[in-house]
Amino acid sequence: MTATPTQVPDEAGDEVLTLNNVEVIYDRIALAIKGVSVQVPRGGMIALLGANGAGKSTMLKAVSGLLAAERGLVTRGEVCFMGEDIGGLAPQRRVKMGIVQVLEGRRVFEHLTPDENLVAASAIHGSRHDMARNRDMVYTYFPRLRERRAAAAGYLSGGEQQMLAIGRALMTQPKLLMLDEPSLGLAPFLVAEIFDIVRRINREEGLSVLLVEQNAVAALEVVSHGYLMDNGRIVMHDSAEAMKKNPDIQQFYLGGAEGRNFHDIKHYSRRKRWLS
Amino acid sequence: MDLTYLLELSVNGALAGLMYSLVAMGIVLIYKSSSVPNLAQGSLVMLGAYIVLAFSNGLGAPMWMAIPLAMAFMFFAGMGIERLALRRLAGRPIVMILMMTLGLDIFLRAGAMTIWGGSGRPMRIGISDDPLFLGPLLLNRAYVVGAAVTLVLFAVFVLFFRTRRGVVLRAISDDYMASWSVGISVERGVALSWALASVVATTAGVLWGSIQSVDQSLSTLLLKGITVGVLGGLDSLGGAILAGILLGVLESVASGYLDKLLGGGSRDLVVAAVLILTIMIRPHGLFGRHDIERI
Ligand SMILES: Nc1ncnc2c1ncn2[C@@H]1O[C@H](COP(=O)(O)OP(=O)(O)O)[C@@H](O)[C@H]1O
Ligand SMILES: [Mg+2]
Repeated sequence: MTATPTQVPDEAGDEVLTLNNVEVIYDRIALAIKGVSVQVPRGGMIALLGANGAGKSTMLKAVSGLLAAERGLVTRGEVCFMGEDIGGLAPQRRVKMGIVQVLEGRRVFEHLTPDENLVAASAIHGSRHDMARNRDMVYTYFPRLRERRAAAAGYLSGGEQQMLAIGRALMTQPKLLMLDEPSLGLAPFLVAEIFDIVRRINREEGLSVLLVEQNAVAALEVVSHGYLMDNGRIVMHDSAEAMKKNPDIQQFYLGGAEGRNFHDIKHYSRRKRWLS
Repeated sequence: MDLTYLLELSVNGALAGLMYSLVAMGIVLIYKSSSVPNLAQGSLVMLGAYIVLAFSNGLGAPMWMAIPLAMAFMFFAGMGIERLALRRLAGRPIVMILMMTLGLDIFLRAGAMTIWGGSGRPMRIGISDDPLFLGPLLLNRAYVVGAAVTLVLFAVFVLFFRTRRGVVLRAISDDYMASWSVGISVERGVALSWALASVVATTAGVLWGSIQSVDQSLSTLLLKGITVGVLGGLDSLGGAILAGILLGVLESVASGYLDKLLGGGSRDLVVAAVLILTIMIRPHGLFGRHDIERI
């Protein structure tokens, strides 16, 4: 793959992802996002910012197709990937087309080793050669993972798990990588390290990136454009530079010098399991 | 105390215990691939045995043909069960899925009663009743065969879970949502685990059927199977093997000495005690995974 220029002009026809007026309803009653329109330029890196409950994860799931598993439904508007309406497709089909979502809270396969996490994510009928090459690429971007490749992933540190979650997504050979709050619960230096690596992957592999964050400070450092979502709607869309200077953003999302995070509470949802 | 007697009880107990492991193995296969504890495994054992008889007595196929045919049949039956009964429950609370497998158990037993009636039918697979002599010890031939088959299947499945497809199944059991997110076909993976568990159940049905004849009581092997599964750790194949041996020895030795005093029933007491104590003292079993808590 060759590097693609990152500052792609925002003109029609050159988007890898287009959401047009999308509305999502959970359980047939709860309206979660209302008429959202977002575009991700090919090879670009874009941020979607917003507070907790704004509807960011819902939007990502509308794109990846994971909504169905949570009894959510796109009731209006269209989701187009490389010009094609992907509305009715199953998640597996979308992954095959090149869409991958890294879930909020990392969600690595805890009882598998990093190596096995990567194997599990590679296409079951793909060649061994491709798998080995992709795995090498992942370990090259995330050398820390290579050192810990044989330990159960549940024992990795939070930062390592986030790296693994991203690496696992890369094994699907995506064209569009969607990250849901990768900074959650990580120390600032780790956030910077991970964002830098994602930026490099974006440049070197020509992979389009949609970065969902509450941590606006860190996110606006690495993206070219940003959207701000509030209460299920897009309320702002601008270049990263302009957003950093915007008084509203500064007041609500950048806060003090350190930047305010809306997810300082460490919420770690455990999946229920029988006999444990 | 007669040492030879104790040894004989232990060795035969261990062999029979390995045949409990075979029942447990089906439970572990499904648990390891989808985190569902299958309470219908005993009924699948019973169904597998009846299907073998249907091919051999019913259609007149020789045993060596009836068994693989029944295995193939059960492979698809297992997939069908997953498709019709369980798929719609994916992601629902585990207690509902558990109740569904219990419902399946009742359904399969009742169905078998309706179709084949309640009288026991012999399963002849050509193992002679003569004991096997190991030095001074008398071994039950049927148990020796059953234990050997169990160990072979154990080896096969240990290798399977290291293959790419096996790793995918383990990933599914860890996290459905994360599996979907990287394009894993969760539904197909779970169906495969039910298919494999049904094939294993057929094997157990043949072996246990040849020992105690084929009727609905085969389904009560669930109690031994689930006890062995829980003791070993529901997601551990190796645990199922060791726990089977352990339970078999305990059971056989206890009944060998205590039945004379208590007038029978000590086997079941041992099973109950093992199950209850495991859940009280070590709920994830001897070798089971537990949720990893990062420090
Ligand atoms: N599975 C669900 N069922 C019902 N409502 C949901 C579900 N997931 C999210 N919601 C609701 O949708 C809204 C948006 O949530 P979400 O997309 O998770 O926001 P964010 O990711 O920005 O924090 C919230 O009001 C939330 O309560
Ligand atoms: Mg979210």
